[in-house]
Amino acid sequence: MKMISNSVKNELIRVVGAKNASFSREELVCYAYDATNKLSLPDAVVFPSTPEEISLVLKMANSEGFPVIPRGAGSGFSGGSVPVEGGVVVSFERMTKILEIDTENLVAVVEPGVVTWDLQQSVERLGLFYPPDPSSHRFSTIGGNIAECAGGPRAVKYGVTRDYVLGLEAVLPTGEIVTTGVRTAKGVVGYDLTKLFVGSEGTLGIVTKAVLKLLPLPEATKTMLATFPKMTEAAKAVSAIIRGKVIPSTLEIIDRVSLRCVEEYSKTGLPDVEAMLLIEVDGPKDSLERDCRTVEAICREHGGADFRVAEGKEEVKKLWEARRSISASLYRVKPNKINEDIVVPRSRIPELVEGLGKISAARGVLIASFGHAGDGNIHVNVMYDKKSAAEAAAAEAAVTDVFTLTLSLSGTISGEHGVGTAKQKYLEMELSPAAIEAMKRIKASFDPKGILNPGKIFPKAGAKTAAAGTKAPL
Amino acid sequence: MKKLLELRSEIDKCVRCGTCRSTCPTFKVIGRETSCARGRVTLVAEYMNGGVGLSETFLKHLKECTLCGACRSKCPNGVDTVAIFAAARRDVTEKQGVPFAASIIFKNLLASGGIMSLGLKLATRLQGLFFRDASAGVGLLSRFSLPLVGSGRLVPPLAPTSFLDLPEVKSAEGKADKKDGPSVAFYAGCGINYLMPEVGLKSLEAVRRAGASVSVPQGQACCGMPAYAMGDIATARSMALKNLEVFEAADADFIVTSCATCGHGLKSLMASLLADSPELKARAEKIAAKTRDISELLIKELGFKAKGRVAERRVVTYHDPCHLGRAQGLREEPRELLKMGPGVVLKEMKNPCLCCGLGGGLMYNNYELSMEIAAKKAENIKKSGAEFVATACPGCIVQLRDGLHRSGVDVKVCHVVELLSEEKP
Ligand SMILES: Cc1cc2nc3c(=O)[nH]c(=O)nc-3n(C[C@H](O)[C@H](O)[C@H](O)COP(=O)(O)OP(=O)(O)OC[C@H]3O[C@@H](n4cnc5c(N)ncnc54)[C@H](O)[C@@H]3O)c2cc1C
Ligand code: SF4
Ligand code: SF4
Repeated sequence: MKMISNSVKNELIRVVGAKNASFSREELVCYAYDATNKLSLPDAVVFPSTPEEISLVLKMANSEGFPVIPRGAGSGFSGGSVPVEGGVVVSFERMTKILEIDTENLVAVVEPGVVTWDLQQSVERLGLFYPPDPSSHRFSTIGGNIAECAGGPRAVKYGVTRDYVLGLEAVLPTGEIVTTGVRTAKGVVGYDLTKLFVGSEGTLGIVTKAVLKLLPLPEATKTMLATFPKMTEAAKAVSAIIRGKVIPSTLEIIDRVSLRCVEEYSKTGLPDVEAMLLIEVDGPKDSLERDCRTVEAICREHGGADFRVAEGKEEVKKLWEARRSISASLYRVKPNKINEDIVVPRSRIPELVEGLGKISAARGVLIASFGHAGDGNIHVNVMYDKKSAAEAAAAEAAVTDVFTLTLSLSGTISGEHGVGTAKQKYLEMELSPAAIEAMKRIKASFDPKGILNPGKIFPKAGAKTAAAGTKAPL
Repeated sequence: MKKLLELRSEIDKCVRCGTCRSTCPTFKVIGRETSCARGRVTLVAEYMNGGVGLSETFLKHLKECTLCGACRSKCPNGVDTVAIFAAARRDVTEKQGVPFAASIIFKNLLASGGIMSLGLKLATRLQGLFFRDASAGVGLLSRFSLPLVGSGRLVPPLAPTSFLDLPEVKSAEGKADKKDGPSVAFYAGCGINYLMPEVGLKSLEAVRRAGASVSVPQGQACCGMPAYAMGDIATARSMALKNLEVFEAADADFIVTSCATCGHGLKSLMASLLADSPELKARAEKIAAKTRDISELLIKELGFKAKGRVAERRVVTYHDPCHLGRAQGLREEPRELLKMGPGVVLKEMKNPCLCCGLGGGLMYNNYELSMEIAAKKAENIKKSGAEFVATACPGCIVQLRDGLHRSGVDVKVCHVVELLSEEKP
């Protein structure tokens, strides 16, 4: 697509105001990346404040033929907000209002730029709870969470962003402003466009308002730590806890490499062991003691060496801060990593962990894994140094092995980060050609000119992709 | 101190995770990527690559940082953002020169034997130079500072006699007496010297009450932090050298300061500024090893226990100066000291380590932004319900007073040491 013309620039300024449109390289370079650390310069950044302004920008994009890229905090792990084909970045940094917290109907209405954590703090003050908690929740936005269907440690009990979006206001790629869904507990009028937008990676529409479901805040929470001499044993304990009918509110697994990296950063005093589980249970105070004891018994039965209940708010806070910093702190062992967030059915985690060990040994690359074991979602980080061509190639090959393994275990190649640009070439490993075609037809019907976030999800025709079709039947 | 070119690998360590969007005080106010550490690091990288030059926009984003270090302390990759931003400022200053007003101040601070001997004379001269708004009538130096003409701005008056010129301070010159208890040399710094001599006097009193002997070496210079923040490394280096000589001569067991910024300046900046000479660096490290913040000295070294009589209740909240909490890791000590004050009840505010907005020369570079940050602080202070806000840095005191005044919040600001005695500060 072409660069934007001066008349387009003037028109953008007219729509959003001079203060809210940037064209200088200094500003553009700061909107060129996300957490994948890949850079591609946009031609402009605009900071709209209403759906009407966004609608005008999209209509212009259709008539003038430039890409529009929605952008929240730019913390995405799949390149979703990177303007790979240039164009106009629409940033929600001015749309940060919590419009309403309805304590009678347990609903919050927010603008897309609201930071997840800010919403959580605001509702918790009223005794309410917004569970989706990606590790990036202190800076990610609700718009980005919706577009990626973000999940977090609490997903094991509470589900992911999808489960909390009741309704949306969105601007379609062609400029129409629509509302979808409801603000009631149920609703079946027409197709469920709300759910279609969730996880669509900013390719089907721009979310300008979200109606979110809230829960009552659990009365109390207990945090536990259990260490294991082997990853496979920790993995078996995870499956056993779930089988044991305790649904922890979080059940995180952390391997040795991850523990070491994050300990170096956080000085939390994490143990130097092969594997650790970080487990939380929540609910009425009197049931927690019992749950803790059940969890402890299961851990011990599965070779758990050390078991401890964390004491006091400070320790819990520190533990979580450490847990949330693992992903970024891994760069301490190698300058580059390929970060995958695969999911397998929970009962198959031990097989997955064993398989990962084999891949690591066979390809000669370091693999750090940690993540939301409770829901089968493991963050697999293949570490390498891109300056060594051999290491880079081995890492690439290891990633394909990891996906093949995951799919053979009836898993999926991405639980929460999305496809974006990062996982395009593996798309055909999981999805059949017919499924991909159907998706492309949906995209084309929403966005006939392909101006909204182009270059994402679907590989370009002729691009090099991994071998197709290794997914086990559902 | 490392130059920008030597920091390439530090810059590459930033993986653009975005964590620093949740910690940066300027991002809290401005809310755009260009105003958080990730954006600024990217800009500096782009500047080094030649993608952007010394444009107004680049300089604006670079100078809007308070160098508070909040991003660094939470960065999962341990990127030394503050070193990157300071080196970038140095690079700019070397190419462009120090901003005019600042350069005159710094040269004067250094002239004729260092800031401390200039006293009022210089201050009056500077007032004549910069404070065209005669109604302001008073002025501040260096980081507290400069084009102070602005509507509704609360400018603290200069002390009639600066701290180092007070008779009781002058008589405390010379080598500290090692006969009874440890010997302590007091470093005043610009803020205490020109604006708050009473904080200096209270500090001396507390050190003596704790059983140490204290001297105040004359000829001490500005700690160099303001010049460093402006990127004027040559000047900052000369200041460091001067202080090195003065405090070596004082030959005390400890060097103590009641200014968080100066403490950081002596503890880490001095050695880094003199690192071009291994010999000077080693000497500076010896000085650094002896340097203590006042609360650190009293609590940790001297085991100070105030015999506080039951007195009128004073509800006090505490603001962590960036240069004390984050830079020196001293959070508990000032609180402990505070709680020894007669009648003091400590009530924490939300986010006590949020920068007050003064740092990194922001008050000079962008007063409005600096005040918007201060307004956030003022809100937290107000909500704490305290009658006093205590802190441990004259810079923060000036900024908090101005910010609270602007927000119409009636809470008194004072230094921790001022609450150690019964009279109201
Ligand atoms: C350290 C770290 C830890 C992380 N941990 C997790 C985790 O535990 N779980 C998890 O799920 N993710 C995690 N992530 C990934 C990331 O934070 C999430 O994907 C998050 O939802 C992205 O939000 P954002 O506001 O940064 O969106 P961005 O990165 O800016 O954008 C993401 C996508 O959303 C689109 N988008 C943004 N706003 C809108 C809108 N209003 N309308 C339409 N489309 C929009 C963009 O076009 C893009 O495709 C982590 C990231 C980091 C850096
Ligand atoms: S937290 Fe550190 S690594 Fe992450 S974006 Fe900020 S400076 Fe870079
Ligand atoms: S030093 Fe402080 S003001 Fe500067 S970027 Fe870091 S957090 Fe922001």
